Amino acid sequence: MTSSPSSSDASPTAADGHAPLAPRRSVLVHLVTAVLSFVIVTIPATLGGLFFLDPILRKRKDAEAGGKSGEVSRKDEKGFIRLNLTRDSIPADGTPVPVTVLDDIVDAWNRFKNVPAGSIWLRKLGDGPILAFNSTCPHLGCSVDFRPAEQDFFCPCHTSAFALDGKKTNDVPPRDMDGLEVSMRTNGADDPGGQEIWVRYQKFRGATAEKIAV
Amino acid sequence: MNALINWLDNRTGFRELMHEALYERVPGGARWRYVWGSTLVFTFTLQMITGFMLWSAYSPSTRTAWESVYYIQNEMFIGYIIRGLHHYAAQAMVVLMAIHLVQVVIDGAYKAPREMNFWLGIVLMMIVLGLSLTGYLLPWDQKGYYATQVTTNIMSATPVVGAEVQKLAQGGSDYGHLTLTRFFAMHAGILPAMLVAFLTLHIYVFRRHGLKVHDAKHAPDTTFWPDQVLKDAVACLAVLAVVLMLAILRPAELSAPADPAVKFDAARPEWYFLFLFRFLRFHAVEALGLTFGAIIVPGIIMGILTIMPITAQVLGEWGHRLNKAFIWLMATAIAVLTGMAFYEDANDRGHQAALAEAHRDGQRAIELASGPDKIPVDGAVSLLRRDPYTQGPRLFAQHCAACHRFNGHTGRGTLVMEMNAEKVPVIGAPTAADLGTFGKREWMTGIVTDYSNHFAWLKNAKWHQDAKAKSAAGESVEFIDPDGSEMADWTSGNVESLKSAENADNVKALVEFLAAEAGHAGTDFDAALIEQGRKLATEGIWAGALNGTSCKQCHETIGDAFPAQPTDEGASGYPTMAKYGSAAWLKDFIRNPGAARHYGAKNQMTASTPEKLTDTDLDLLVRWMTGNHTASTVPDYPSQMEAVNAAISK
Ligand code: FES
Repeated sequence: MTSSPSSSDASPTAADGHAPLAPRRSVLVHLVTAVLSFVIVTIPATLGGLFFLDPILRKRKDAEAGGKSGEVSRKDEKGFIRLNLTRDSIPADGTPVPVTVLDDIVDAWNRFKNVPAGSIWLRKLGDGPILAFNSTCPHLGCSVDFRPAEQDFFCPCHTSAFALDGKKTNDVPPRDMDGLEVSMRTNGADDPGGQEIWVRYQKFRGATAEKIAV
Repeated sequence: MNALINWLDNRTGFRELMHEALYERVPGGARWRYVWGSTLVFTFTLQMITGFMLWSAYSPSTRTAWESVYYIQNEMFIGYIIRGLHHYAAQAMVVLMAIHLVQVVIDGAYKAPREMNFWLGIVLMMIVLGLSLTGYLLPWDQKGYYATQVTTNIMSATPVVGAEVQKLAQGGSDYGHLTLTRFFAMHAGILPAMLVAFLTLHIYVFRRHGLKVHDAKHAPDTTFWPDQVLKDAVACLAVLAVVLMLAILRPAELSAPADPAVKFDAARPEWYFLFLFRFLRFHAVEALGLTFGAIIVPGIIMGILTIMPITAQVLGEWGHRLNKAFIWLMATAIAVLTGMAFYEDANDRGHQAALAEAHRDGQRAIELASGPDKIPVDGAVSLLRRDPYTQGPRLFAQHCAACHRFNGHTGRGTLVMEMNAEKVPVIGAPTAADLGTFGKREWMTGIVTDYSNHFAWLKNAKWHQDAKAKSAAGESVEFIDPDGSEMADWTSGNVESLKSAENADNVKALVEFLAAEAGHAGTDFDAALIEQGRKLATEGIWAGALNGTSCKQCHETIGDAFPAQPTDEGASGYPTMAKYGSAAWLKDFIRNPGAARHYGAKNQMTASTPEKLTDTDLDLLVRWMTGNHTASTVPDYPSQMEAVNAAISK
């Protein structure tokens, strides 16, 4: 303290007026005090930290979206969603068509029923199979476009390019485009020659060489 | 007054504190070069003030984040200034931080005994970058959503713990409410608290060692207050003036509400991260793996920065030179990469079109949200999903633009490209009409006065060329020929009379009548002209040679209502002109282009069945094409006609 007490008020630093305190306490008291202080800080900090780790610690997962709830009338137990298009309505020359997939989305405390969940590319190979790709870029999650002139798929973010069969054609993406399971049906029953297109819509982790569903 | 101050000082000792704070010695006099630290503290204070205010109106969830930011920006009193200040001051902070860092390195202010302070500064820099990353997502618009997807995906490329880190950041395996609540807690709570703590330490340690004096003999020594503070305040005022000006003149953008189902082609990070973005675009870098480009290289750079004090300690003067060289190298590399990114984007037609669309969608979302119905409970994202003005162009691009064009583009402002024989991309020739003016006066004028030219596009089609060749070879083929139909004969046969002065008013009237029959919204029609036109169409009262030729002679239903249940009964072989170009006609035509009531089997246009184009989508498309949607002042996709014409004339 540089300022000297100028009034009759008691000095705020009472210790100044006393002789220095002798270290009277035993080691035990030091120890107990230290442990206690540590504990009262650590407990709330740990609890807070654990709460923050909820996304990886929580056991009970949110109910799967869709499923058997029947909210998406056109979704079966295995997660296949029926698209509006039919086999015949897809161009026979293999030109990809973009399709928006409708699904139930569970987001924390909400269930959004039958809303656009993502977009996919569909292609028909002659009279043969239908290919479906998630349009999310496996690189870092931008959107993959179809380029008619180049006849390829292309992501404008970091220039990932893919052939029309989804195979990557340059070094940017870590893996090929994410193919989705397709099942052709008639009245909901498997039928390779059927007109109904059912797609198992999934999202996959970006930036990995393996295809890991999330 | 004095007594009160004395009492306060006695209880708190604030005089000493003030003295400590303000009368720091500044050897060599106050200098402009010392202002950077203060401008950073000032900018941070500005962020706290505007941030707390934004907080008072912001609501973090996927159905309220965009909505509340829209409300702040467009409805609340000086909301756009507060948000604009926050937006631009954040960028100013990054710039000032870079200057501060470069100066510290060049002046050697990181060297002993100030190592600790340098490291505290590095921590502060990381916190500021974290604030910027987390803040970018909070408006939950397309721009922030997709840019942040890239960031969290980069996190997942961290070796070993990547997936967990990403999950923790996102609050789950996918983006949702919890992503926003967590980002918000980081942005407004945890990171600022850390920043305050580290800033306090930074300033404390700074005061302990004092200013790193640049030139002690520059001027007589002075004290912080008031000489240096004056210079600092002037500098802060300049910063404030710049961000305030930007906030007012270029209000912070809000793009369309985030929609994971809508592809976004204009994704870019904030401009000060563009260098990193551009770096990741090098295929040579990508060949080494994402972890290398996005994590290891930035990690090494941060590492070199961090050990700078040690480098200087160990290597002495050479170490310092090395450090200076490194910081200049980094500054140059960043400047070059940023410049490249800007240059390439500016010359990328696709990116420019995507930007224009992002801008259009954003403006439109704001326009709809400001409407009398406000934003529905299911969020602003549904506004655009149900909006013909937004969905029409997309549906056109998807379903029509393979053959048709809209003012030279696909409907979405992009050109249709194809490869020529030399494998060079060129603008593809449309093989069906450009519908940019469909149903409007220009369109009707083209049909009435210059039919073959009006549909000349069809001649680009392979089916047309094939049919033409066959018929030249003497085969009899039925096809739509813009040069050889009865309608073409009528317009070309009567071209003089049609263009003559005596019929000028008549042509105008007929066009007015036809456009009114199509009845697209947003056009004012002249009732008298319509009546005159109707007479021409049905009775054929023309002047001169045309007199006696009416549309009705072939198109029997002209002037009638379009039937609710159209059939081919009574189809005469001539296309129906009942409400030609109207929404009802257009819907029927898109579904059944080959019906006898239209052009019959010879029409090559493929029918859009409900499997291809749902009823909802057909409605959205047709409403857009006939102008039947809430009016918009948002600039539309730019016409690409000039580009197309230039390409054709080549
Ligand atoms: S996200 Fe597609 S190239 Fe990077």
